[in-house]
Amino acid sequence: MTIAIILVIAATLSLAVIFGVAVSRSLQISAEGSLASQIHPLDIEAFRNLADPAEDAYLRRRLPAFEYRKVRRMRLRALAVYVQTAGRNAAVLVRMGQNALPSSDAGTAEAARQLVNQALLLRRNAALVLLRIYGARFRPNSDLPAASVLYRYSQLSGAAMLLGRLQNPAAPVRI
Amino acid sequence: MFQPHSVLWQYLWVAPNLLLAVLASILWKRGLHKQFRGFYIYAWFQAVQWAVLYPMDLIPSVSAVDYLRIYWFSVLLESIILFVLISEIFADVFGSYAALAHVGRLLIRWGGAFLLITATIFAARAPIDNRTWLVSTSQIMQEAMYIVVSGLIVLLFVSGAYFRLAWNPRVFGIALGLGITGCVHLATWAIRANFGAVRKSNLLDIANLATSHVVVLMWYYYLLVPQKVATKSVVALPENSLALWNRELERLLQQRPAHQ
Repeated sequence: MTIAIILVIAATLSLAVIFGVAVSRSLQISAEGSLASQIHPLDIEAFRNLADPAEDAYLRRRLPAFEYRKVRRMRLRALAVYVQTAGRNAAVLVRMGQNALPSSDAGTAEAARQLVNQALLLRRNAALVLLRIYGARFRPNSDLPAASVLYRYSQLSGAAMLLGRLQNPAAPVRI
Repeated sequence: MFQPHSVLWQYLWVAPNLLLAVLASILWKRGLHKQFRGFYIYAWFQAVQWAVLYPMDLIPSVSAVDYLRIYWFSVLLESIILFVLISEIFADVFGSYAALAHVGRLLIRWGGAFLLITATIFAARAPIDNRTWLVSTSQIMQEAMYIVVSGLIVLLFVSGAYFRLAWNPRVFGIALGLGITGCVHLATWAIRANFGAVRKSNLLDIANLATSHVVVLMWYYYLLVPQKVATKSVVALPENSLALWNRELERLLQQRPAHQ
C-alpha cells in the first residue's frame, strides 16, 4: 500500500514537471525578443580572483584556521553565484545561437553553431562545477573547481562576439 | 456507464487504437514514417495489439487464461518498443548538438539502468496472488514499464529545459504524449498492482483509456497540423554586453589561466 502511495505521488509530481516544462517552453518561445536583456555581464577579474588557487593558498597561509574556513565558505558562496550567472548567460546564448542557425550567410551560421556548442559545454560544466563547489564547502582542503568554467566562459565570449559582429557589422565590437 | 463493456468503455478502447492506425497510415503516406520510425512502429503495434486483444475479450470461447497469456506477452513487447522509441527521441533531441550527443547517450544509458533497477525493486515488493499470477504479474510488469517510461521522459524534459534545447515540435508532441500516458498509467497500475482487487477498478480502466484517447488526439495535432514556425529573428547581442565582454576577453588573453 505504501508503495502504491509513493508511486502515485511520484507520478503526479512527474506529470507536474512535464506540464511545467511544456508551459515554460511555450512562454520561452514567445519571450524570445527580450533575450538580450537577460544577459548579466560578469566581472571576470573578480571571478578569476575567487577561482584562483594561489589566492586560496595565500589566505590559508595568512589567516588562522577558523577565520580561513569562514572566508573560504564566503568565497565559495560567491563563486557559486558567479558560476550560476555564467551558466544562465550560457543558456541565453544557446537560444540566441539557435535563432541565428538558419541564417543564409554561411559564416554567421557557422559562428552560431560554434556559439551554441560552446554555450552548451559551459552550461554542462557549470552544473558539474556547482556540485563540486557545494561539495567543497564540506572539504576545506579541496581545490577550487571553477577554472574550467572560467576558461569556457572566455571561449564563449569570443564566440558571442564573433556572432555579434557578423550579425551587426556596424556595432563597435573589437575582438 | 463506467462498467466494463459499456458503450463508453467500448468506445475508449476502440477509438484511440483505430485513430492510431489511421495516424500511422497518414505518416506513411506523407513519408514521415522514416523520420519517426520508432513512433510509427509503436503506433502500429498499439493498433495490432488492440486488433488481437479486443476480439479475444469479446469472444466467449476464449478463456481468460489465454487472453492473459497474450496480454502478458504484448506488454513485454510494448516495453521493448517504448524503450526503442524513447531512445530515438533522446537521439533526436541531443544528437543535433555535437557538444551534447555524448551527454544524451549517457543520460539514456545510466538513467535507464537506474530506473530499471528502481522498477525491479518496486516490482519485487508488490504482492503476487498465486491463484491469478498472470493477472498480478502483468499488472506488476505494467507498473515497472511505466516507472521507466515516465522517469525517462521526465529526465528528457528536465535536461532539455536545463540546456534550453530547441525541440522539433513533432518530437516534442510525441514525448509529451508519452509522458502524460506514462504518468497516468503509472499511477493506475501502481494502485492495481499493490492494492490487489480494487473495488472500483473499472474507473482506473476508464482513466487509462481516456488518457490514451486524449494523447492520441494530441499526437494528431502535433504530427499533422502544420506548426507555427517560430520567428527565428536574429536577436542582436546587446552592444554594452559585447563591449564589456570584449574588455574582459582582452584581460583574459593577457593572463590566460594555466588550466586549459
